[in-house]
Amino acid sequence: MKLNTINLHEPEFRRIKAILDSLLQDLRADIALLVSQSGQPIVISESNMKFDYVSLASLAAANMAATDGLANLVGEGEFSVLVHQGRSRSLYISDLSRKFSLVLVFNASTSLGLVRYKAKKTIILLEEVIQDVLRRTPQKKYSAGNPDFSEEELQKLLKQ
Amino acid sequence: MTFINYVAREINCKIVYYGPGLGGKTTNLQYVYQITDTENKGKMISLATETERTLFFDFLPIDLGQIRGFQTRFHLYTVPGQVFYDSSRKLILKGVDGVVFVADSQEERIDANLESLSNLAHNLKEQGFDINKIPYVLQLNKRDLPNAIPVDELKKQLLVKGEPVFEAVAIEGVGILNTLKAVARQVLIELKKSA
Repeated sequence: MKLNTINLHEPEFRRIKAILDSLLQDLRADIALLVSQSGQPIVISESNMKFDYVSLASLAAANMAATDGLANLVGEGEFSVLVHQGRSRSLYISDLSRKFSLVLVFNASTSLGLVRYKAKKTIILLEEVIQDVLRRTPQKKYSAGNPDFSEEELQKLLKQ
Repeated sequence: MTFINYVAREINCKIVYYGPGLGGKTTNLQYVYQITDTENKGKMISLATETERTLFFDFLPIDLGQIRGFQTRFHLYTVPGQVFYDSSRKLILKGVDGVVFVADSQEERIDANLESLSNLAHNLKEQGFDINKIPYVLQLNKRDLPNAIPVDELKKQLLVKGEPVFEAVAIEGVGILNTLKAVARQVLIELKKSA
């Protein structure tokens, strides 16, 4: 069985980074993340405030997955947006093409309406790039930069 | 869903530890966390009840090292084993790359093992996976207990497809790393095949 694999190369990485950086600046947010459905952080844009984005990505994806389950239970196709409002910080998580999530951490005083508006526009931009990422054919087997490895190299890795 | 970041030179994979309640899934991750150097692990998250039963999942990100200039990162998850948490188990299997089934070797837990294994096959199918094809390892835990069923008998009942089998005493760390390395190996080989 072939694994489903996301291959992120430099052109798409830079496009996604630029989109997230722009969103981060517009909202003066703390962090903007593109997260895979399986909970992996794909691209991160962050301010000087540093977050444990690995944990954030995992929990956000689980949160969205649980929300999806709840939506099905109550007869809704999906609940595509989650907002958690805190006293000083809030969290916004939005579904993206049913395979990713956009995760934002921002100051609680930022207008939620503005966050929703900007995030919605960002999703449209990101969806275009995501389609390119998913359509991208795997690189040729032995081309430079491909993680092709030998049995020996695998043994060496797993002996550590 | 394996994620290869060609810019950061990283391979990211997801492994899920599955099995009946109190079988040792969380203990597996706790041991891996304890023995892994700080620079090679992230924070371990455990969403659990007050009585330390897994409520939603445990999560541990670890680095296994470099291969061909790519850092190999594995995200380890456990599912809640109690029967009534089936909805949660389905969610944690999303985007899985490899599975470890942690079986409880005790005689009185054989039915729980079988039910959990059947549940795994069913939930994998719902997510679009086939247990006969996905990277998969069987761990027979609690080998130290006096009521542990003999290994051959357990294998007869639980083997799915001739997968690697590891005896373990998770609470002492026995068999944990070999299990992890075996499933990681399968995941990476599968990745190479699909490239």
